[in-house]
Amino acid sequence: MKFLLSMTTSSFKRCSRRDFLSLGLGLAAGCFFSGPKSLLSASFPHFFFAQLKYRGGEWDPNPQFTEAIIEELELRTSIDGMKERRVTTLSDPDLFFYPFLYMAGKYEFDPFTPQERETLRRFLSYGGFLFAEDTMGAKGFGFDQAFRREMKQLFPDHELRRLASDHSVYQSFYIIGSVGGRQRVNGYLEGITVDNWTPVIYSQNDLSGAWTRDRFGKWINECVPGGEIQRSGAFKLGINIIVYSLTSDYKKDVIHHPFIKRRQSL
Amino acid sequence: MNLDQITIAPVFPLWLILLLFSLGFASAIAQYRFIRGRLGHSRALGLSFLRLGAISFLIAFALNPSLVAKKEHKVLPAIAILLDTSQSMGQVEGPTKASRLEEAKALLTEGANPLLKSLSERFEVRLYGVGESLRAIEAKELGDLKAEGMKGNLSEILKELSGKNTLALLLSDGNLNWNGGQSTNLPIVTVPLGSTGEYKDILIKAVKAPSLAFRGREVMIDVTIKSYGYTGLTLPVLLKEGGKLLTAKNTRINASPGEVTASLSFIPDEVGQKNLSISIPQQFGESLVSNNSFNLSVKVVRDKIRILMVSGNPSMNYRFMRTTLKNDPSIDLLSFVILRTPSDILNVPPQELSLIPFPVETLFSKEIKNFDLLIFDNFKYNLYLSPHHLESIREFVRGGGGFAMIGGPNLLNEGRYAMTPIGEILPVRFPEKEDYRRDSQVGVRLSRAGVAHLITRLSSDTAGDAAGDDAQRLSFWKEMPPLDGFNLLEAKSSAIVLLESADGIPWPLLTVSNYGNGRVLTLATDYSWKWYMGMVAKGKGNHAYLRLMDRMVRWLTKDPGLDPVQITLPESTGSAGQEIEIRIKFREEDLSPNLRSMVSFSVLNPDGIKIESRLKPTGQSGEYLGSFLPQKGGIYKLKVETSAGNLEESIVVAGLLDSLDAAPDHEQLKKISASTGGKFLPRSEGLLKEVEDFGRKGESRFIEEKWSSVWASPFGEDWGQVLQSYN
Repeated sequence: MKFLLSMTTSSFKRCSRRDFLSLGLGLAAGCFFSGPKSLLSASFPHFFFAQLKYRGGEWDPNPQFTEAIIEELELRTSIDGMKERRVTTLSDPDLFFYPFLYMAGKYEFDPFTPQERETLRRFLSYGGFLFAEDTMGAKGFGFDQAFRREMKQLFPDHELRRLASDHSVYQSFYIIGSVGGRQRVNGYLEGITVDNWTPVIYSQNDLSGAWTRDRFGKWINECVPGGEIQRSGAFKLGINIIVYSLTSDYKKDVIHHPFIKRRQSL
Repeated sequence: MNLDQITIAPVFPLWLILLLFSLGFASAIAQYRFIRGRLGHSRALGLSFLRLGAISFLIAFALNPSLVAKKEHKVLPAIAILLDTSQSMGQVEGPTKASRLEEAKALLTEGANPLLKSLSERFEVRLYGVGESLRAIEAKELGDLKAEGMKGNLSEILKELSGKNTLALLLSDGNLNWNGGQSTNLPIVTVPLGSTGEYKDILIKAVKAPSLAFRGREVMIDVTIKSYGYTGLTLPVLLKEGGKLLTAKNTRINASPGEVTASLSFIPDEVGQKNLSISIPQQFGESLVSNNSFNLSVKVVRDKIRILMVSGNPSMNYRFMRTTLKNDPSIDLLSFVILRTPSDILNVPPQELSLIPFPVETLFSKEIKNFDLLIFDNFKYNLYLSPHHLESIREFVRGGGGFAMIGGPNLLNEGRYAMTPIGEILPVRFPEKEDYRRDSQVGVRLSRAGVAHLITRLSSDTAGDAAGDDAQRLSFWKEMPPLDGFNLLEAKSSAIVLLESADGIPWPLLTVSNYGNGRVLTLATDYSWKWYMGMVAKGKGNHAYLRLMDRMVRWLTKDPGLDPVQITLPESTGSAGQEIEIRIKFREEDLSPNLRSMVSFSVLNPDGIKIESRLKPTGQSGEYLGSFLPQKGGIYKLKVETSAGNLEESIVVAGLLDSLDAAPDHEQLKKISASTGGKFLPRSEGLLKEVEDFGRKGESRFIEEKWSSVWASPFGEDWGQVLQSYN
């Protein structure tokens, strides 16, 4: 609890300082330049969530999930982020420019059209990244079945498989031993790995549910059964997934091996 | 005259003559019977005998009796005198200070009984010089004969002389190629020259070295040293590049004559053509010094291009660039990405983080020289690097390294790079105010220089970048998706802008220049990854981005594979006097007619003097054959000039005396004479007699017959003359 408090307090301080500086810079810019430069564009981030809107089911089970995880991302890492997510579809021409495609749901959704499948296959085969999660909090329900069906269609030669404990996603920033989330459905992540890159990572632990706060900064969902430690684990895993999406298997470079081995043995 | 000297030489076949005689005899008897009743017995008999006599007379003419005279002739034996003119015959030794060839000439032409003159009186003598080939010479040419040819092949020479001569007299020191064993009917009498006892020499007999080596990997060179004399001596064997000593090894001589192998090793630290020399210092009393050294050329290439990439934070730009470089098997990438800065707050003990310390001091003070290319990707240096690290980077580039600065908000580090060594080497100047813009998308276009530059000569044509013309290349870059952010920079006057912003002020986006021996590049955007995904989105694949990255890396590291012209040297260069051919090939994509017409080839000899060379097309597209004739050993510089750039290579040509083993090999001569049925005859007073005796064994005779018809001289007036002259 003490840990959580320090985290949120720091986040607040950090945001306040940034907002203040941004405001000051914006005012200064407004005084000296008459161009169209806006406050938002001056701090345009590197990272944002692009959430996939699909037909059928419930595509947006945790609408306010981005704020806390982006705050945490900025606080702990060198990555700048934008709290506002973008909502996209598989027919969006800008899809290929989204660094992190996010897909969530509880219920079964309509099959993708052949054109949508082809777009998603091309996106994922040429460097795109998809993090998908079943927020139902239980195995084998609608979204899980539908997602697995689509992945089988997209990658008939590559199965959605449990990611081994030494996968880069567990080591990309934090060294993660146990997987957090709102519900602890699986003690692992699954993914589709092509060569050394995992373009699809899938969770059934409802990470975004653990990240979601209301407008007053309170957690909307309880994390069970692990409570706040489990929530902390959800944030760590979220940061690792984001860092992985931006660094690939960087942590598999030989230079990292002795450090990670040593720390894992502590 | 004896009866056995008379024989017949029928003018018709003998059976025809006998048949005619039988018919004549039968007709005479038949006639006798026919006329006996009319003329009476005695008259008929007389008349028949007369007719029979006439027939016999005609038959005697037809049989053509002849007188045969025989005469025996003696044939003078033909002797081929073979004078060895190979290089080793020029060796000077002994108190006379005359070369072996001079000794041989003296033996043939000087003294109380010159061998050549004496033999010419008794035999039919033919004189030959034996160098690389057999050459007939006149006696008067002997004086001008020089020892300068390569070793002759005696086995081949024997095939030429066999059957025309009864004996060959070989004057040689034994340094001949002889495969022995084959049957020949030409005995060889060998006369040894040179003194085996007096000869002292150290020579580099053979060098086994790779023609291609990898930078940073040990190169082994095995040197076989042959010695005559100097048993027990320890010699230093030196390996040098120019005047710089690379390594040395002491080697002990254990036997004389004997061979010993010294293994030298070195690790090349730079790519390029290495002209090396192996040498052994001259020893006291050594007969030949020129064979104490050996030149060789080793081409050092990279096994991999080693890149150090430091990225300021995880980003799409980092991932796409890293993945591209990682997937290239010719690249060895070490990348660091700053995952957290000192201002980021830790919420867990450090051991729960996978972060490793950034080994700044090791990388930028010690290891930097082991890389070919350094990439800073949106990296804020001042948090990690000290001024001496920046100085080290400048020296790295000055020494030939490549440096790329990839854009982003931290590219210029809030102006902190200005007035630093990095600011000095970069091809761009720093803005005074705004340095990064992300408020609107900006298109990209090729500059005039970019149309022709190797980095940006990209075309959408799948047949290759060469297939596209300038307009196609321009439209290809127009097709690239716009960038969401870029740095506002100014190119230095020494820089070349390849890509610039297409909208409004043409800000330089991709700028290159040289610094010292190195190359630098600035890509003023952190959105180049959009060129990857943008083309993928259009269904045009990722090859444009991959090729752009590949060419940036290869241009920065001066990769020879990017040179528009490739020179292929012969695997074996032979030695002076032998023509050398090299192949010159243009890269397919640089095969513009303009380029092809502007090619020239020149050769500088070891003294730096331009020598005659030729260049002709091979008939294959974009391929030429250059050739020249080296007159002496040493390093020749080859220069190919084209409108797309120049290329230089060097080639080592062995001198005629390099690796020359000039020790007399009299055992070889003994073998030659023994295997041909000849004789090994050392020079002595009895040499002439021995040769004569041997030559006489080859004497031969023949009998000439002359036939004289009896009817041609029926009264015998010529018979006595014939018999007299032939008996």
